[in-house]
Amino acid sequence: MGEPLDVKTAAEVFNINWKDAYDYFLELKQEYDQEGRGIRIIEVNKSFQFVTDADNSSYIERLCTPVKEKKLSQSALEVLAIIAYKQPITKGEIDSIRGIKCDRVIEGLIKKELIQEKGRSTAIGRPILYGTTDGFLKHFGFETIKDLPDIENIESAVAADDPEDEVYAQQISLDFNT
Amino acid sequence: MAYKVKIDIFEGPFDLLVYLIENAEMNIYDIQVAEITGQYLAYVERMQEADVNVATEFMVLAAALIEIKSKMLLPRSAPIEEGIVEEDPRTELVEKILEYKKFKAAAELLENHENEKLLCFEKPKEDMDQYTNQVDEYLSLDIRQFVSAFNLFLRKKQRIEEVRKHYTRVERQKQSIEMKVQFIVGFFKKHSLKKILFKELINKESDKYDVVLTFTSMLQMIRDKLISVEQHRAFGDMEIKMVPPVKEDSVAIGEWDDN
Repeated sequence: MGEPLDVKTAAEVFNINWKDAYDYFLELKQEYDQEGRGIRIIEVNKSFQFVTDADNSSYIERLCTPVKEKKLSQSALEVLAIIAYKQPITKGEIDSIRGIKCDRVIEGLIKKELIQEKGRSTAIGRPILYGTTDGFLKHFGFETIKDLPDIENIESAVAADDPEDEVYAQQISLDFNT
Repeated sequence: MAYKVKIDIFEGPFDLLVYLIENAEMNIYDIQVAEITGQYLAYVERMQEADVNVATEFMVLAAALIEIKSKMLLPRSAPIEEGIVEEDPRTELVEKILEYKKFKAAAELLENHENEKLLCFEKPKEDMDQYTNQVDEYLSLDIRQFVSAFNLFLRKKQRIEEVRKHYTRVERQKQSIEMKVQFIVGFFKKHSLKKILFKELINKESDKYDVVLTFTSMLQMIRDKLISVEQHRAFGDMEIKMVPPVKEDSVAIGEWDDN
């Protein structure tokens, strides 16, 4: 697939400063959107690219057989969600949230260039930290990582109040990191 | 962990647990542990019956559930001293389930975004090489120069071949295991010894290849029950003894050969 054009590269080509180049990109993008064109411009982390308008997808599929990007599996989406919201995060933390080892899924996501290593944690054994890539933003149509929807109240889950009168002196620890 | 289609619908133990809790329409803050544990175990059992390779993680959660269940059954302890914070045994599990559910929902959000994005097509990458890379320069010489250069090359090639005819490369014959085995057997006979040390089989001229070959030949002979080898300490020398020839009634050599 084609690569988005980085604002920095465009600025260098035209010998203008970065800010101006970025503004021109945004202006152009807006113009395409307002005129409701069949070709649109998308932004991916300060890079821009032409894509077709989503509304025309059925016609495009009749016209040709576009190379469709593969949909991600359920487990890949779960791991990706955890990494996206909690980055930088270690494999162990991901395993702990899902209650199951995620090595294979993580490998696959690295191969697809949706996540990357982001250095190492200072914890014992200095485990690798993972974070999302620009490829991730592009795959899901986010301009920046700030565009991720808020999930804190996703389930309208409120922290549990004090449990009722059933009380026990003992504490247990559930450790799923085996 | 690879598991098969049958339980692929569950992404892991929490996924299964969340499904069971929601299916039973239980309040997540008041899980009926006994009931859920029963259902969970029944499901895991069914997975095993279906001959699915049940991931150990499912077992870990099963154990945790049983532990919580037993804690729930314990009679309430004596009046609790002040300052001690007691906890519902389910608290930690509930927190974990809530966190898992949060990300499961987030995964769903991502999937919606993905579906949207799949409707936008982009152009495949163009091959820009001819614009970005230096195109090879054409040879700027006339045909006569070219021909003479080619002739020069042919003459050189001819000379080299003539020289090669006069010399042949001597390849040193590499020994084989079979030859080495013969040598070791011969060594025993020649010196009419009962016992030799490994290092005696190696002389000053032995190169690395020869040492390795001697060692692997020794292993081969142990396997064929021609010799027995002892080593009394780590990295010590190995004592090699001939095994007395087999009697009539014992198994012939090579019977167990699995090659």
